[in-house]
Amino acid sequence: MTIRDPLGSPVDSHEFSQQLATIVGLTEGIKGVVAIASQINVMALNAIVLSQRAGEIAQGFGVISKELRALSMELTSLMNALSADAFTVVNLVSDQLRRERRYQLLRAAQLVLPDPSAPLNRVLAEQQTRFQSCTQEVHERRLCLLDRLEEARKLCRFGTAISRSAKIEAAFGQGFRSALGGVSQDFDKTIQTILPSIEALIDKVEHI
Amino acid sequence: MKTATTIFQNGNHSWTVIARDPAKQTFLIDTNEYLISRDGEHMLTDPGGSEIFPAVFAALSTIIDPMRIDRLFASHQDPDIISSLGLWLDCNPKLRCYVSRLWSTFIPHFGGDDQSLQPIPDEGQQITLGLGKLFAMPAHYLHASGNHHLYDPDARILFSGDVGAALLPADESGLFVQDFDRHIRHAEGFHRRWMGSTEAKLDWCERAANMKIEMMCPQHGAIYKGADVERFINWFAELPIGPSTPERSHLNFSTKTHDA
Repeated sequence: MTIRDPLGSPVDSHEFSQQLATIVGLTEGIKGVVAIASQINVMALNAIVLSQRAGEIAQGFGVISKELRALSMELTSLMNALSADAFTVVNLVSDQLRRERRYQLLRAAQLVLPDPSAPLNRVLAEQQTRFQSCTQEVHERRLCLLDRLEEARKLCRFGTAISRSAKIEAAFGQGFRSALGGVSQDFDKTIQTILPSIEALIDKVEHI
Repeated sequence: MKTATTIFQNGNHSWTVIARDPAKQTFLIDTNEYLISRDGEHMLTDPGGSEIFPAVFAALSTIIDPMRIDRLFASHQDPDIISSLGLWLDCNPKLRCYVSRLWSTFIPHFGGDDQSLQPIPDEGQQITLGLGKLFAMPAHYLHASGNHHLYDPDARILFSGDVGAALLPADESGLFVQDFDRHIRHAEGFHRRWMGSTEAKLDWCERAANMKIEMMCPQHGAIYKGADVERFINWFAELPIGPSTPERSHLNFSTKTHDA
């Protein structure tokens, strides 16, 4: 986001509105990931019960299911933190939008003054400083969002890898092979749907 | 741009009206702002909405440095009265805004806080400006439920908010009422609908009739001077308003439900 010279061309409110729309879209995307993570959590819980019923032959499958459950919880907590960051950015950008309107009105007042150099220069310069400090804060939050999303991406890749291990473990499930195989297929399919969502979120944050 | 016209001057004591912006968009109601200056202190009444802030600020700058305005008086809470508050506070964060206690927590939605908002008690209050005194006169329910006018006993001027307001056509936009009977037609509909309480109206008329008023300055329309002030008070006292108007059938006061 570029803030221009307060005494030159005005700040672009359209830019702030677009930012706001992007962040609101981000929040919706986060909700989607949380929904999938909670689905994995329930699936993992069922898989743990199933592996216990299968006994020793499904011990490995049980360990993987526990890992997937832990992963889903970690992902949920990560998404909650991401949601809190996005909320802060929404507040910051909404405030920018409000300030921008006030800036425009002060600027309009300055332009119709008989002597445009005074007395609003100081007020406009103060507004500019506030814009800059807010912009810096948005920038820092954006980096924080990207860090969290990178962490989420790694978690998803790990989840994809262990869901494949679950498939292998299911193959050794003897009498439970079919049931465990079905569960591992579901794991794999569900986890596959998270990664594109995370990539889409990263793409959105990069455009803030 | 609006024009600043001084309507009263006595040494360091003056009243200036900011009015009539030819560039104003027609969808915005026209407003009058009054700058009261005394001994180097300045108070602006009903400073207007944020959209007209540039026009008001620029007009003020032709007579004083607007950054020196350190007090605002808001007759009530409407957007055309005080939605520019945030902008005025950007210019002078130490500025204080006097308004009915009823609105002192509503108006911060336009800007300001418990420091900048000075709640006026229901019974009104005295406000010092320079070496003189102004009086916030109760005018509740005319039209807002918490409403004050501002009286300057030395200048004998009453800032009357929406009381006396008129929606003037472009070809009758003089600053002062010239022909009362002709003018008052443009005030009638406004008062019938916006003023909600006959009891409050009659109480106000009685108090106003006992005050020494040379000029009555509304927030919209033209200023009443001399005998026109008394004419207005008498006219207003007689006017059916609010639910007492003959047009009350339009207001759906019927006890029947819409389904009946």
